[in-house]
Amino acid sequence: MTRRTPIRPAPQAGRVRAGRRRSDAAYYAAMLLLVLVFAFPLVWVASLSLKTGSEVLQSPPSLLPDDPQWGNYAHVLQTTPVGRYLVNSLILVAASVSGALVLSIPAAYALSRFRARTRGRRTFSRAVLAAQLLSPLIIAVPVYRVFVTLHLINDYVGLVLVYIAISAPFLTWFLKNYLDTVPTELDEAGRVDGCSRLRALVLLVLPAAKPGIVSAAILAGVTTWSQFVLPFILVDAPELAPVSVGVVNLQSTSGEITTQYLAAGSMLAVAPVVVLFVVLQRHIVGALTAGAVKT
Amino acid sequence: MATTVSTRPRPGAGRQRPAARRGPVSGSPWLWLMPLGTVLLLVLVYPVIEIVRLSFTDASLVSGEPYSVTADTYASLLRGTDFRHTLQVTFLFVLASVVFQLLLGLAIALLINGAEKRGLRGVVATRAVVLTAWAIPGVIIGVIWSLLYQETGSGVLNHGLSLLGFSGNTPFLSDPDNALVSVVVANIWRGTALSMILCYAGIKTVPEQVYEAARIDGASRLQTLFRVTLPMMLPILTMNLVLATVETFNSFDMVLSLTGGGPGTATQVLALDVYDQIFRQLNLGRGAAMAVVLMVINILVIGLYVRLIERQERQI
Repeated sequence: MTRRTPIRPAPQAGRVRAGRRRSDAAYYAAMLLLVLVFAFPLVWVASLSLKTGSEVLQSPPSLLPDDPQWGNYAHVLQTTPVGRYLVNSLILVAASVSGALVLSIPAAYALSRFRARTRGRRTFSRAVLAAQLLSPLIIAVPVYRVFVTLHLINDYVGLVLVYIAISAPFLTWFLKNYLDTVPTELDEAGRVDGCSRLRALVLLVLPAAKPGIVSAAILAGVTTWSQFVLPFILVDAPELAPVSVGVVNLQSTSGEITTQYLAAGSMLAVAPVVVLFVVLQRHIVGALTAGAVKT
Repeated sequence: MATTVSTRPRPGAGRQRPAARRGPVSGSPWLWLMPLGTVLLLVLVYPVIEIVRLSFTDASLVSGEPYSVTADTYASLLRGTDFRHTLQVTFLFVLASVVFQLLLGLAIALLINGAEKRGLRGVVATRAVVLTAWAIPGVIIGVIWSLLYQETGSGVLNHGLSLLGFSGNTPFLSDPDNALVSVVVANIWRGTALSMILCYAGIKTVPEQVYEAARIDGASRLQTLFRVTLPMMLPILTMNLVLATVETFNSFDMVLSLTGGGPGTATQVLALDVYDQIFRQLNLGRGAAMAVVLMVINILVIGLYVRLIERQERQI
C-alpha cells in the first residue's frame, strides 16, 4: 500500500473552492435522488387518491390529476370505516404504550439502582434482545388458543396485554440505560427527606428522566402502530380492527375501478404517523441513535 | 464499546464511592421486577413452550383437544418438497433484502453525515423522508407497492420502464420470477430506513479526533472509510445485520398484502407459510413445526450475534 505524502503542496485557494463547490453539487444531487426514491411511492399514491376512476386506468399515467378529486377522501370516510380504524389504532397505541411504561419503569429502576452483578445485567440485555426479536406470529398462535378459551378474542384487554409484553422488554432496556444517566444523589436526597422509594421515583427521578421516557414512548408507539399479525389474528370483528388490518380489508374489497379509494384510504392510514414523524423528526432520530449506541 | 454519548456522567463518578457503585439500594429488586416478569412469562415464555409442544402433535385449529402426539409433523416437512421450496424462497428473500438494506443504509448514512459536516441545506429533510418508510406499517407498504407495480400501461413503474425503452407491460407480480424480485425491492425500500439510522448512529460514535489523526497521517478518503470508520462502527454494523436478518425472516405482513405469497407459491416466505398452515388450512401441528423452524433460525442468528459481540469485546 503506497501512502500519500503527508505534506501536500498548498493548492491555490480558488481551485479548492471550485472543487468544493463541485462536490457540494454531487452531494445535493445524491440527496435529491434519495428524496425522489423514498418520497415517490407516497407521492404517487397521493396522486392516485386524487384521480377519477378513468384517470387511474389511463395509459400513459400522468403524475398530476387533471382535476383533483378531493371528494374521494370524503367518499372513503363515509363508505368505509377508515376513520374508525384510525381511532382504534390510537386507542390501542395509547393503552399499550402507557401500560408498557407502567411495567417497564419500575423494572428499569430496579435494574438501574439495585445491586446487580454485571453478568446478570448482560444476561438481561441479551434476553431483552431475544424477546424483542421473537416473531409475533409465534406468540400469536398459542395466545389465540388461550384467548378463545377465555373469550378474549375481540377484546382489547387481551390484545393490549400482548402489545405490552412485546414492547416492554425494549422499553425496560432503553429506560434502564437512561436512568443510569440520572444521578443517584437525586433518589438519596428524596430518601433523606423521608420519601418512600416509590415516591422518590415518581416525584424526583421520573421528571429528570422525562426526555428518555418520551423517546422510548415514541419508539414503542410507532412499532405498536405498525403491528399487524397480532390484531389480524386476535381481533376478527371488522369494527375493532386497527388501521393496518383495516387497509388490508379495504384492499380485499377494492377492485380496479376503485383503486383511487384504496389509495385515499392508504393515505389516510399513513398520514397521522407521517405527520407525527416529520414534526418529531429530531427527537426520533435522537432516540433511535441513542438506543442503537447503547446496545 | 466506545461511545461519544456525553450525557453519561456515571462511570468516573461511581468508582470513587465503592458503596454507591453497587447501587444505592440494598434489599431485593424482585418486587419491582415482578409485574414485568409475570407478563413476560405469560405472554412470551408460555407461547414458546406451547408452540414447541404443539409442533409434536397432529392438532388442528378447529377440532381442539383430542389429538395424538407425533413427530410426524417434522418428518413430513422434511419429506415433502413444499417446505424445501418455502425455505429456498425465504433464504433468497432474506439474503437479497439484507445485503441491499445494509449497503444502501450505510451509503445513505455516509452521504447524510458528509452533507451534514459540509453544512449543506436540506439534510434534515432528506433524513426525514428516508425515515418515513420505517414508520409506515408493513401491510400498507405492500398496498402502496402493489399500486406502483400495476401491470398495465397505466402502472407508473411500467410507464417508467417504457420510457427507458423496455416493455411497458412488465408482469411485476404475476410472473413468478419477477414477483420475488418485486417483493425484495419493496422490502429493501422498507428496511433501508432503519439500517440507515443505525449506521448513522454508528458513524456518530467515531470521535472527531480519530478523523483528525487519519487526516494528519495523510489517509485518503477511502482509506479513512475502510481503515477507520467501518472498523469503529463494527459493533453497530453487526447489530444492524442481525436486526435486519431476523426482521426479514419474521416479516410477512408486507408480502401478504403485496402478493399474498403468489403467484402460486413463488413468494411464499416461511412466516407467511406458518400463517397459511395454521389459520387458513387449520393444520396447527404442521404450522407449529414450521414456526419452530422459524424460531430456531432466529435463535441461531441471535446466538451467532452474541458470539461475534463477545469476540469483538475481547478484542477491545
